Amino acid sequence: MIQIKNLDFKYEDELILKNINLELKDGCYTAIIGANGSGKTTLAKHLNALLMPTKGSVTIDEIDTKKDQISVRKKVGFVFQNPEDQLVYSIVEEDIAFGLENLGMRTEEMKTKVNSTIKGLDIEYLAKKNVNILSAGQKQLTALAGILAMSPKYIVFDEPTTLLDNKNKKNIMDVVNTLNKENKIGIILVTNLLNDIKYAKNVIVICNGRIIFNDKKSKLNNKILKKAGLDA
Amino acid sequence: MLKKLTFGQYAHKDSITHKLDPRIKILAVILLSATAFLLETYYKFAIFSLFVFLLIMLSKINFSSLIRNLRPFFFIFAFILMMYILFSRNELDKGIQAIWKFVLLIIIASILTFTTTITNLVTGIEKLSAPLKLIKINSRTIALLIALTIRFVPALFLYAERIKDARLARLGSLKSPKHVKLLFLPLLDRIFKSASTLSDAMLARNYTEKRISYFSAIGLKNYDYISFTVLLAFIFLVLLM
Ligand SMILES: Nc1ncnc2c1ncn2[C@@H]1O[C@H](COP(=O)(O)OP(=O)(O)O)[C@@H](O)[C@H]1O
Ligand SMILES: [Mg+2]
Repeated sequence: MIQIKNLDFKYEDELILKNINLELKDGCYTAIIGANGSGKTTLAKHLNALLMPTKGSVTIDEIDTKKDQISVRKKVGFVFQNPEDQLVYSIVEEDIAFGLENLGMRTEEMKTKVNSTIKGLDIEYLAKKNVNILSAGQKQLTALAGILAMSPKYIVFDEPTTLLDNKNKKNIMDVVNTLNKENKIGIILVTNLLNDIKYAKNVIVICNGRIIFNDKKSKLNNKILKKAGLDA
Repeated sequence: MLKKLTFGQYAHKDSITHKLDPRIKILAVILLSATAFLLETYYKFAIFSLFVFLLIMLSKINFSSLIRNLRPFFFIFAFILMMYILFSRNELDKGIQAIWKFVLLIIIASILTFTTTITNLVTGIEKLSAPLKLIKINSRTIALLIALTIRFVPALFLYAERIKDARLARLGSLKSPKHVKLLFLPLLDRIFKSASTLSDAMLARNYTEKRISYFSAIGLKNYDYISFTVLLAFIFLVLLM
């Protein structure tokens, strides 16, 4: 379980996140929505220790993000908005192995893991390709594969579809849904596109660094969306 | 288009040279290049060239792609030759030898790039630069820098081209210094954004400077030691003759 208690976060002197309290259960599918600049990315980065609370605490299965970043990042994967900027190596399968190399996995085990991940996402045909010739959707799948290979318990997606075309958008959202339903991976989906949240079970609405709604998706109404500046 | 987007010339073949450990190949390129520089008689040139020719055959490289690598230098070769013919015809020998050495160097380097994947090349450099830790330089950092250059430079070129086209469409021409600024500022902005996301993405995947395992592992086999011994023997022979 991911627990956030009394979290405040400041960039320089500006308070960006204000008194955030949250619990995200194993196997959850939670969407975090909010207008541009409301603090979604800042909050998301706290979940895998890319940012540390100015006040309060974030724990992943009782592990404090301030204490043990490596364990936290093994449990929580992070897929960024821009598929271009999160791939390190030029060849797809090598990039997928990047995280495993960092964890010191043996070569044979690594090959098996990379192959099964590639198979799971149906992207065997990309394995030996150069990253630079892939489409944005294929790059995003590669980035996701690199995270999946590390067998995370949760994956945070920060606006993963903003830069994709409609077909790829749908594809990625379907893949994410499958990961949640079949692989029981907890999904935290950050987005400002209401279309993206159709599979989510819970929704958190964030407005000016504060949580103004945190409940089942069915309870979400237009008044709240309007308040968050998201009225469709 | 594809060439612009990817680095390297690796062509997959089943050959002895392809199977060699990249470290052996990198060392061989260094040693052979140094030897090429020391050649002074046509007799030695002939023997050395024969050896390089043998390497080409062993590596199953087709000659047309070798010629393609040499083509950009033809103009320089012609220029050097012309200078010798015009100004010191009695030293023409020297000119021909200089060009010949140049050609040999390019071919030797090409054999390496044709038979070694970029990844293996980078891993080879990483392992060979391990002793640099004595002067506090981390070899994985070096390897990472090379890998990131290979990964991002083509992407940035492509991005620069896109900005240029967009600007051209709006401004008609890009001649004045102000226009150059319009081209570089977005590029710089993009580089900083990419670097910031990339460093987050690497941390998120637990990047560490002390790497202990490799996806594309390399390892020295008997066959590597034998090849290297043969190479050393050949070089000694040429130099002592
Ligand atoms: N590195 C930074 N330094 C200072 N302020 C920042 C930084 N990153 C984001 N901010 C500010 O934090 C606020 C929330 O940003 P962010 O979390 O990226 O919002 P969102 O992801 O919801 O669009 C914005 O007002 C933004 O200007
Ligand atoms: Mg954001």
